[in-house]
Amino acid sequence: MRPLIIPGILAAFSVVIIYLAMQLKLSPPMIVGHSMQPRSFPIFLMVINLILIGILAWECWRAPPPAIELEGITTWVSIATFAAFYFLTTHADFFIAIAVVMFVLSTSWGERRLHVAALISVTVPLTLFLLFDEVLKIRFPRGLITNWYYG
Amino acid sequence: MLEAVSAMASVMGDPYLLGLITVTTVLGIIIGVLPGLGATTGAALLLPFTLTMDPVHAIAVLATLYVSATFAGSITAILINTPGTSAAAATTFDGFPLAQRGEAGRALGVAVVSSTIGGIFSILVLCLAAPMLAKVAYEFRPPEYFALTIFGLSMLASVGAGGAVKNLIGGIFGVWLATIGAERVTSIERFMFGNYELYEGLSFVPVMIGLFAISELLVQSKHAHRVADMVTLKAVKLPSREDYKRIWKTIARSSGIGTFIGILPAEGATVASMIGYSEARRWSKKREEFGKGSVEGIAGAEAANNAATGGAMVPTMVLGIPGSGTTAIILVGLMVHGLRPGPYLFTEQVESVYQIFGSMLVANIIFLGMGLYAAKLFARISLIPTAILWPIVFALSVIGAYALSASLLDVWIALIFGVVGFFARRHGFSVAPIAVGLILGHMVEVNLQNSLKMFDGAWWMILTQPLALLFLVLAFLGLFGSQIVKLITRGGRAS
Repeated sequence: MRPLIIPGILAAFSVVIIYLAMQLKLSPPMIVGHSMQPRSFPIFLMVINLILIGILAWECWRAPPPAIELEGITTWVSIATFAAFYFLTTHADFFIAIAVVMFVLSTSWGERRLHVAALISVTVPLTLFLLFDEVLKIRFPRGLITNWYYG
Repeated sequence: MLEAVSAMASVMGDPYLLGLITVTTVLGIIIGVLPGLGATTGAALLLPFTLTMDPVHAIAVLATLYVSATFAGSITAILINTPGTSAAAATTFDGFPLAQRGEAGRALGVAVVSSTIGGIFSILVLCLAAPMLAKVAYEFRPPEYFALTIFGLSMLASVGAGGAVKNLIGGIFGVWLATIGAERVTSIERFMFGNYELYEGLSFVPVMIGLFAISELLVQSKHAHRVADMVTLKAVKLPSREDYKRIWKTIARSSGIGTFIGILPAEGATVASMIGYSEARRWSKKREEFGKGSVEGIAGAEAANNAATGGAMVPTMVLGIPGSGTTAIILVGLMVHGLRPGPYLFTEQVESVYQIFGSMLVANIIFLGMGLYAAKLFARISLIPTAILWPIVFALSVIGAYALSASLLDVWIALIFGVVGFFARRHGFSVAPIAVGLILGHMVEVNLQNSLKMFDGAWWMILTQPLALLFLVLAFLGLFGSQIVKLITRGGRAS
């Protein structure tokens, strides 16, 4: 059954999209005319996708792909930092979040010189902030640091 | 024609643009030599920095990065047996063995010269072919455009690393992503889940940053502790007269192959370099040297992959159909800067178009000099620890994703697509078809709707339009041609 897990997930996704598309409102004929309803195109796409998934499932069943090794801790830490980034951005500051994630990524990827990791984590976001704010005139979201900077 | 030449020459008279091209060429080479980054990721990261630029300057910057990063992949391919870009994978076959024999300088010299000639040739073809194709495309109506986008999507079957079926599934997923937001005619909200920031649809830039840059970050996390060995490089030298005698035919052939493959929608530099390499081997009098350090092998791969860059710009600019992941980002750049890709670009913005072509030409000449005189320095950059490089890529990605619309939603979209892209790649799905599908999705739906309106709902009338029928037949042959040939040959043998 293992070779059919990915086709199964993709098929489930396609069915969910078809279900969601079926819930979309119908538009009056005087607006749509001879063209398609808004739901038709996504349903059409997902039906083609289901056919392709069927072919993929058959291919996987006939010649099962080699088992994929589970990623090492570095990859999972990297993904987890994205969740931490979301939390820190919404509760503290966008740039604090970037600096913390950069530091964690750097150290978890094998940088042993903590002062180097810290230096990079502070200087890169700071430089990018100044570049985007001063040169490209882009306002960043409010947070602990940006509140202080913008006043 | 005179107008085109004068617009291209005007690049030389614009010091600001020349400066931008020079800086971007250096940046492109740095990005190209850093394993994992490559032209596509580099373009995705650079796009937000071009927001405040003049449209011509912005696209010139992206196009320059495309050509220089594609070339630069060969530097690390030759010196550390790690192609900086997938397009340089074929260069490792002979480049690294030649470098191991102590002839790294010669290998790089051949790569630089072949890349430059291939690149310049393809830009000249671009200058000639693009306006001619634009004249034809000028007559296209919705049925032709619909059929053309279907042809472009069918070509996804062969783009990227995944198999044909996986690529098509990725492409359709990308087209579906383009349906998110308010439907164009009826304004009925589709798959927005109450989030009105999605009313205009998914922004291309954060999706591109997620799919290419952040997913690559996660892929690279698997190789976080890898240490590369670098072959000692003596001075890079131009190919000798003997080398030229051996490689000129290969360069000419591969330049043509690369340009042609680049022009095909959804084909790119990687496919071009592989075919360029295998054709060089097929035509060589010294086939036994291939894989052991043949200069013809290097020339075949490098001339083809750089020629593909100019070729890939033809469908991108003339038809609005990207030829690769990088041209998909250049296409997004055109849209973001208000330049409408398509044949009208060649009537409404003809000067801008030729300035962009001129910039690519200048970039090729600049990287010839840099490749010959600074390859050693650039090769050292590839040894930057991943633990420093990729956190910087993360910062660039999230700030770049935010910058386009000053929206945090775009940052979350980039991160989500980064994770989706990573898991897709983990299971053998390439992310390029998703990106191309997202860009073409809107075109497919709008042109299908308009075709149906044109023919009062009779969809089969699309098949009565000769050009549309031609594109659909080509799409069908692209998808099922090899199976049909197999069936016919099997039937022939059986009888």
